Amino acid sequence: MNSIYGTHRPELERTRDFLVDQIEAIRSETKDRTGQDPIEHLLFRIKSEESMREKCIRKGLPETPESALSLIYDAIGIRVVCSFINDVYMIRDRIAALPGCRIVKEKDYIRKAKPNGYRSYHMIIQTDTGIYAEIQLRTISMDTWAALEHHMKYKKKLNGNLELLTSELKRCADELASTDLSMQTLHDLIYDEGDITP
Amino acid sequence: MKLLLAEDTSDLNRAITAILQHEHYEVTSVLNGTDALRSILETPYDGIILDIMMPGLSGLEVLSELRAHRITTPVLLLTAKAEVDDRVAGLDAGADDYLTKPFAMKELLARVRSMTRRNTLFADDELHFSNLSLHAESLALAAENTVRLSKKEFELMKILILNAGRPLDADFLLSHVWKSEPEASKDTVWLYVSYLKGKLRAVSAKAEITVKRGDSCTLKEL
Repeated sequence: MNSIYGTHRPELERTRDFLVDQIEAIRSETKDRTGQDPIEHLLFRIKSEESMREKCIRKGLPETPESALSLIYDAIGIRVVCSFINDVYMIRDRIAALPGCRIVKEKDYIRKAKPNGYRSYHMIIQTDTGIYAEIQLRTISMDTWAALEHHMKYKKKLNGNLELLTSELKRCADELASTDLSMQTLHDLIYDEGDITP
Repeated sequence: MKLLLAEDTSDLNRAITAILQHEHYEVTSVLNGTDALRSILETPYDGIILDIMMPGLSGLEVLSELRAHRITTPVLLLTAKAEVDDRVAGLDAGADDYLTKPFAMKELLARVRSMTRRNTLFADDELHFSNLSLHAESLALAAENTVRLSKKEFELMKILILNAGRPLDADFLLSHVWKSEPEASKDTVWLYVSYLKGKLRAVSAKAEITVKRGDSCTLKEL
């Protein structure tokens, strides 16, 4: 069977590498300037053949390179996990200003969390070569939360009440968000050497 | 503890003020309803004592006005013996208690203790200000987004909402939110104010805490 990406796989890999290099450059430039690494970890992937075909079917699209590259935007997926919430927005701004990229769509699920408590900043960008990529930015605690929530969604046998687990996950999300904000306040006091008294 | 006394008979006003001060209350005394209302809108009190019959604004008018401003501070009304209808009207308008003149100072003190005790218990399950809601059971602060506050953040937010629009100084906040924590300092207050400022922004609240440099803070609508 032919690849769902047709002959475009090298192009996808080049675009992925370009974006990852750009983000790594933002990272090291920030580190040199402030002495702090704004990124905790950086993950990236090209969606597997199987997942892409499955997504085409789910969306009622033909399993073609056209669908995979032009109608679905996350053939390339990049996740940037930051220590502090302000770093998430700083990296977002820097990505938005990258030459050769345009923002197709953005969703700020940090400012307005999903009803289940999910928080992340989502960007879909397109490079000059026409290739799309989805970039998700979040803090470590948002990342931990999303991982657990993902497990819950896909785990068939849940020990206990789904409703209770769902509402407890939502509670944890709101507590983690609160702690992220307090940590940012403390971080700013420590690094800006500001006075506590306003 | 801060009390406001509005009583137009100056001898009685002086006597009550002296006795309350002797019991270590911090007392602001005024001689008419207009001054009472102005002071209540400017300063947070722990309890308010209002004479009903006063020149200018009556005690009942002051009471309805402050309840209309959603000020929940407990109010004790001082009434003359014949004023049954006034007492009923007063309780209906949101007074917490009344005392009929002439009264024994001992009883006045007991009623003041009783109403200020109730104040510390006063809590709606849900408080609202602008597009904000604050939930007592879950400690959730919500507008367009929700975060869960810590116990102290919640208590600070609550007192800011109950006194919205009025400046609260660090000593007042320390004595009300951190009353049983001697290790808490003004820095504690300002740090928690900073936390709440960040959290109000994070939930996209149409409200903000403004701070007068190192002195007092006020919750305001944006």
